[in-house]
Amino acid sequence: MHTVTFRQARQFVPLAIPLGAAIGFDGVGTVLVLVVVVTLLSLATAALSWSRFSYVDGPGSVVVTRGLLARSVRTVPTDRVRGVEVEAPALHRLFGLVRVRIDAAAGAVAGDREELVVDGVTRAEGDRLRTAVLARGQAAVRADPEAPAAEPEEEIARFDPRWLRYAPLVGSYLAVPLAAVGALFRLADELPEGVRPAVDGPDLADVRVLAVAVVLGLLLLAVGSVAGAAVVNWRFRLVRRGGSLVAVRGLLTRRHTELEIDRIRGGTLSEGLGMRWVRAARTTALVTGLGQATRRGQLLPLGPEPEARALLHRLVDDPGPLLRHPPAARRRRIGRAITGGLLVTGAGALATWLLGWWWLLAAGVLLTVLGVPLGLGRYASLGHRAGPRSFTVRSGWLVREQAVLQRRAVVGWQVRQSLFQRRTGLATVVACVGAGSGGYAAVDMAADEVAAFTEAASGPWAAALRPPQR
Amino acid sequence: MAHDPAAALGPAVPVPVREPAWPLSRSAIGLWMTQGAISAVVWALLTVVFLSVVPASVGGPVPLLRWLVPVLVGVYAVVAIGIRPFVRYRVHRWEVTGEAVHALTGWLNRTWTLVPISRIQTVDVNRGVLQQVFGLASVAVLTASSQGTVHVPHLEADVAERVADDLARRAEAVRDEAT
Repeated sequence: MHTVTFRQARQFVPLAIPLGAAIGFDGVGTVLVLVVVVTLLSLATAALSWSRFSYVDGPGSVVVTRGLLARSVRTVPTDRVRGVEVEAPALHRLFGLVRVRIDAAAGAVAGDREELVVDGVTRAEGDRLRTAVLARGQAAVRADPEAPAAEPEEEIARFDPRWLRYAPLVGSYLAVPLAAVGALFRLADELPEGVRPAVDGPDLADVRVLAVAVVLGLLLLAVGSVAGAAVVNWRFRLVRRGGSLVAVRGLLTRRHTELEIDRIRGGTLSEGLGMRWVRAARTTALVTGLGQATRRGQLLPLGPEPEARALLHRLVDDPGPLLRHPPAARRRRIGRAITGGLLVTGAGALATWLLGWWWLLAAGVLLTVLGVPLGLGRYASLGHRAGPRSFTVRSGWLVREQAVLQRRAVVGWQVRQSLFQRRTGLATVVACVGAGSGGYAAVDMAADEVAAFTEAASGPWAAALRPPQR
Repeated sequence: MAHDPAAALGPAVPVPVREPAWPLSRSAIGLWMTQGAISAVVWALLTVVFLSVVPASVGGPVPLLRWLVPVLVGVYAVVAIGIRPFVRYRVHRWEVTGEAVHALTGWLNRTWTLVPISRIQTVDVNRGVLQQVFGLASVAVLTASSQGTVHVPHLEADVAERVADDLARRAEAVRDEAT
């Protein structure tokens, strides 16, 4: 029985200060009292939940008991454990503690991933728990006695600081400085009048001032996104240790993610619009039982496209170059991309005729014209290919995602055909997979190629889809 | 690409994949008709309330609505009771082959779903109130993927029971390591 050395209480102290500050500004005394009360309260709850929390990792399962009044006992059999993540947030690191997250296999019905969290154990205990749970889980599955005790590590990928220069073109990292600016504005709004610095708003009418402001803003955005990417991916390393892939990363919060190679069914290569300009990409592993926890599966958060692709093909065989979809698919993509513009144009024509509003018509025409390159771009993303042991599908324009999957990954096929697709001889084929988002689609492939593709990409059972010979 | 010379002679619309062989239970038509009748009665009651509460003297679009609404409800009743059940019966098909479960649904937008028996995780049989009246049951075949679920509505209850048992037994026998 290990009781957690749960020093979470100390986390509450810095939290209490801004909380008190936000509640009362009418006197220093009030603030002090509030700080003391809140701190004491949070200390008390933390101490209570600490005393009521315990975990045991037995030979067959991990049991977590918790709860203040209502006791809850959670048991997870070790052979259902899909991965263990050890993370060390900044405050935890100050006290030499870590947080261990144990991912268990999700049920058949789409739902919440089951997760056990053991918070606030020492670093050594966290590592012990991780190896103990994973080793037993793997032993139960494979019963492999000749696995060496101290397994050698093989480095697969390492984050090159030069790759940080891609960050300003990646949507998720751009969001970091924007969120910071938003938080700053909220703070400034909440400050009382007297405290706010009296700065005259810059004269935005002046073109030079405006240009300088825009350039400064863009610079700040770029610097912020680079800083954000650096904090998250600091000293990222991906190593292979025995039957697992281990990813370590983070500056303030150090994360240690472990994935079982046996459970990897494939991977995705995603490239955003901006990333495609500079040929950058991100590789994510698709792991059964991990559900939508895509962050856990990230194998290369950001890097040059050839590097990301090479990593992906270490996970799954390269099925070969993508096959393009028929011209009817291009017409359909363009048609769909300009529909909105045409509707606005129609409404604009009506508005011009009835009310004399020409600007709606102009906007509609512009949208329609812009829809053509958009449709062409979306069509250019489409592709599929079945290789001897794996297959791939690709789609998406804003974020182009190529999924490469092993044949055994397929747990079902879904073939969809709308009225328009039926008339143009197209069909959308979704490979249902018990990992990642649950399904990866080959959009608008030629209808008469569907049966051959599904059979080549999965197995003889898919022959049930073969249409009767005419 | 299948360069089938006969395809040029066949219908201009190639079927992408084979249609499953078996229809649902014919009692499903009765069930759908009952459902249509129930919703038509609800709409008719609402229409009666509308006609008795809102007098024609209110003006505006009301005089138009006073005859348009009953006509629309009548058309809805005809479609829901007389047409939709038969269309639904024709577009739902299913089949259990040697290695897979196969189902087709949808009239304008059609969806085929194929799940190999080796990857089945759970087989559910559901019986609603109306289904019990008509002696029917629905079967749902679940896999590890949220998208890979085969739904077969409205089979005869004993057929559904047998299929579920058979699938569960065969899935147990051939289950492989992949989740």
